[in-house]
Amino acid sequence: MATETHHLDAGQRALRSDRRAEFLLGALVVAVLLFVLFLIVFVFREAWPSFRENGLLWFANPDDFDRQVEKIFMSANLLQEPVYEFRAWPIIWSTIVITTLAVSISFVSALFVSVFVVEFAPDWMRRILEPIIRLLASVPSVILGLVGVLVLVPFIGNHIISDDSRREVSYIISLSGYSVLAGVLILSLMIAPLMIAVFVDGLRSVPRNWLEGALGLGVNRWRTFWKIGVRTARPALIAGTVLATARAIGESIMLAMVCGGVGFAPNPKDGLIFFVEPAKPIPAAILQASEELTSPPMRDTIFAMASLLLFSSLFLSFAGWVAKQPMKKYGVRA
Amino acid sequence: MGFLSPPPVRTLPLTGEEPKVVVPNGNGNGNGFVSAGRKVAPSSLAIDRMAVEDLSIAYGSKVAVDSVSLPIRQGEVLALIGPSGCGKTTLLRSLNRLTELTKTASLKGRITLDGDDIAGFEPTSLRRRVTMVFQQPNPFPMSVFDNVAFVLREQASRRPRKRDLKGQVESALRRAGLWEEVKGDLAHPALRLSGGQQQRLCIARALAANPEVLLLDEPCSALDPQSTKVIEDLIVQLREEVAVVIVTHNLQQAHRIADYVAFMYLGELVEYGPAEQLFGAPRQERTREYISGAFG
Repeated sequence: MATETHHLDAGQRALRSDRRAEFLLGALVVAVLLFVLFLIVFVFREAWPSFRENGLLWFANPDDFDRQVEKIFMSANLLQEPVYEFRAWPIIWSTIVITTLAVSISFVSALFVSVFVVEFAPDWMRRILEPIIRLLASVPSVILGLVGVLVLVPFIGNHIISDDSRREVSYIISLSGYSVLAGVLILSLMIAPLMIAVFVDGLRSVPRNWLEGALGLGVNRWRTFWKIGVRTARPALIAGTVLATARAIGESIMLAMVCGGVGFAPNPKDGLIFFVEPAKPIPAAILQASEELTSPPMRDTIFAMASLLLFSSLFLSFAGWVAKQPMKKYGVRA
Repeated sequence: MGFLSPPPVRTLPLTGEEPKVVVPNGNGNGNGFVSAGRKVAPSSLAIDRMAVEDLSIAYGSKVAVDSVSLPIRQGEVLALIGPSGCGKTTLLRSLNRLTELTKTASLKGRITLDGDDIAGFEPTSLRRRVTMVFQQPNPFPMSVFDNVAFVLREQASRRPRKRDLKGQVESALRRAGLWEEVKGDLAHPALRLSGGQQQRLCIARALAANPEVLLLDEPCSALDPQSTKVIEDLIVQLREEVAVVIVTHNLQQAHRIADYVAFMYLGELVEYGPAEQLFGAPRQERTREYISGAFG
């Protein structure tokens, strides 16, 4: 009898500790959700004056981006009416261009590398490649930025940009090697290993018997892996791409280092010169302006830029979720 | 027991003759194997399609199949039986060179298809003529239609239009006995079919390639009795058009559907003969013990 009560107590204790764990985890989840909500509300509230004063012109193209930022900053110091006039197009455009190019390049290369690693590489090569890829995925971006500044930027400045191109666009911008190209290459180097790591896990979890099924029907290895393996791993491809894109959109230090920090919208009409024109993506602009947070109108403007970034990443997650939906129908595991 | 009778000679009914149902011969042999009457009538026509000649397969130093020789005939169902790990699945997989996917596997001896050594074939073209259905139903994560059309699309040099594939898909589904159940909704996700339907879809998929030999690796082991019955009937029907080789753990199943049975043990082919003879009067002690449930 005594032992029975003892067991009962132990059982109840276990139950109670289960409940406690449940409660604790639930509370944590709620706290995280509240924090995210607070973050969004806070950023958008701080950003509001800038949007209110500029309206939709906020997204327009300014005459001189860097000059307008200076004006906003100075307006607070001179005890005048604060200046809010802000046109963000160059930094939005720079972000779009650099992110899209880098994500496209790394998506294609990551896909081929991960298919190779999972399905075609001999064992010894796989054993070497995988740790290297995971190591690369965790290299701090500032180190990549340093390599960019010390190696890639001078190379582009000295060997890729011709004097003719310099002259051709000299009336509007000077070409130095700090460029879209440098940003895209270094950014690709930064996000591709991340994508590969996620893709490899996704491709590896494709059920073996689906692949064998296709092979047993006389479909060759490449087609089998392409049509069954990659197709099945699409949710992982999306997840990896969303993760990498979010990182690319938010990258500041490295892009500030190699892109030139000039508020200029690279012009596709310039042909190939487009790629060697300098740029300033949103995070780099925030980084460079962050010393000027003391000026209230500047502060609001910075928050406006930040809110755009925040919105992009929320939108990105949502887009990833939407893209995965049709795949659920046929039982592709998400 | 022992070697009482000479090697079996298969007698085939003449054209026009009624095929007769063979009842297991259980009188006095005492092997204890009792089952309902075989549902298989002897096939009217058997053509040699494949031949396994002195085949040995090893994984590293472990021998999985040891000097096996067998004929595989169209018009007959050949069942490979034996305890787990006896090499029957390895033997089956070697018939369309799926063993090559295992890096450590090495193969000696010869397998021929219509007289040609299969080692000389492109693996892909061999696997289209000799297709495989696996133990676990493994439909692709696509619609029913796309599952069957997959092979057809892969075989075509240019991507055929859906409309042009319809006929072939329907005929494959009909041959696999699935058409009536899925014809209303060919866009249905294959993974939401029942287990038995999934396996028949896999058979349909294998048949869509118009193979000459169909390999089945314990196709019913994951299925309920009802689905098993449907698939067994299907296999018996199919043997007229394709040579069927089935690996099974289930002796009753082998007895029900096979014309010829090969009993393997520890990689060796212990006994090969007509089903009624192997189950009714096995010539080898090992076979007798196995089919009476003494080991395995």
